[in-house]
Amino acid sequence: MSTVAGVRVDNRQVDSTIASPEPVLDPESREWLSSLRGSGRERDEAVARLHELLLRAARFECARRRPTLPHLRGNDLDDIAQQAADDALVSVLAKLDTFRGASRFTTWAYKFGLLEAAVKLRRRAWQGREIPLEPETWSLFAGAEIEPDESAEQSELLETLQQAIADVLTPHQRRVLVALALNGVPIDVLAERLNTTRGALYKTLHDARRKLRGHLDELGLSLETPEEAN
Amino acid sequence: MERPDLKQALGRLLGPAEPEIGCDECFEQLDRYVELELAGADADAAVPGLRAHLAGCPACREEHESLRALVGGEQAL
Repeated sequence: MSTVAGVRVDNRQVDSTIASPEPVLDPESREWLSSLRGSGRERDEAVARLHELLLRAARFECARRRPTLPHLRGNDLDDIAQQAADDALVSVLAKLDTFRGASRFTTWAYKFGLLEAAVKLRRRAWQGREIPLEPETWSLFAGAEIEPDESAEQSELLETLQQAIADVLTPHQRRVLVALALNGVPIDVLAERLNTTRGALYKTLHDARRKLRGHLDELGLSLETPEEAN
Repeated sequence: MERPDLKQALGRLLGPAEPEIGCDECFEQLDRYVELELAGADADAAVPGLRAHLAGCPACREEHESLRALVGGEQAL
């Protein structure tokens, strides 16, 4: 067991810390770092340029999500983008010394703008909505398509899964799994409501999934590897 | 409305079978991973466990898609 970036890592997770030589900064990234670490007018202008860059990323994210947020007006989205850029600017400046040049500076900075906007938009979409956490009320995979020739085997799998969720998981693991994996609650929304972090919640989800897989393996139930957990 | 596919539902529930990194590590590595992808390099070999994490975490997957689209779009200009 080890710790990587604050996330406990076990034998089902991997340490992706790559042993590689320190990257050489490209000239543009060097210029960004130099001017942001400078003083006076040079730094002020660099901070303004950085804010523009982050605002571009935040607006890009807002535009991508706009079709899924019909209740938000253009002004609302621009306010969210501005707030996201402001918050991302604080994060980038605070973490400037952690930039090692593994990518271009602009790519590194963009991810902060995108993250802040995405988190704000997910939270806005769930504002005022109750988050279903309890397992008693859900119907596992209600309406899921089951091929007739596979229905018996899949019905057994579903029944076993439901039982395993009830019996094998801790109450916290069950609540997190039900909210994130069954009810589609965004992880940032649940993290805010439970006063925790995305990383901590994903660790709980990961442990719950591992328990379920282990339980099904013990029962000899074959599982297909999911290609993508939408 | 299309009904949910059982395989997708199982995917959401059980997550990736292969080893994966966590959300924090994913964010740390995402910029490097995207640039490797866009350069046509083997990003999965360079950052093991990130692809699996994207399969299991919708939020990180969305952010990966956005960063790739944003940076890729600028490179195409």
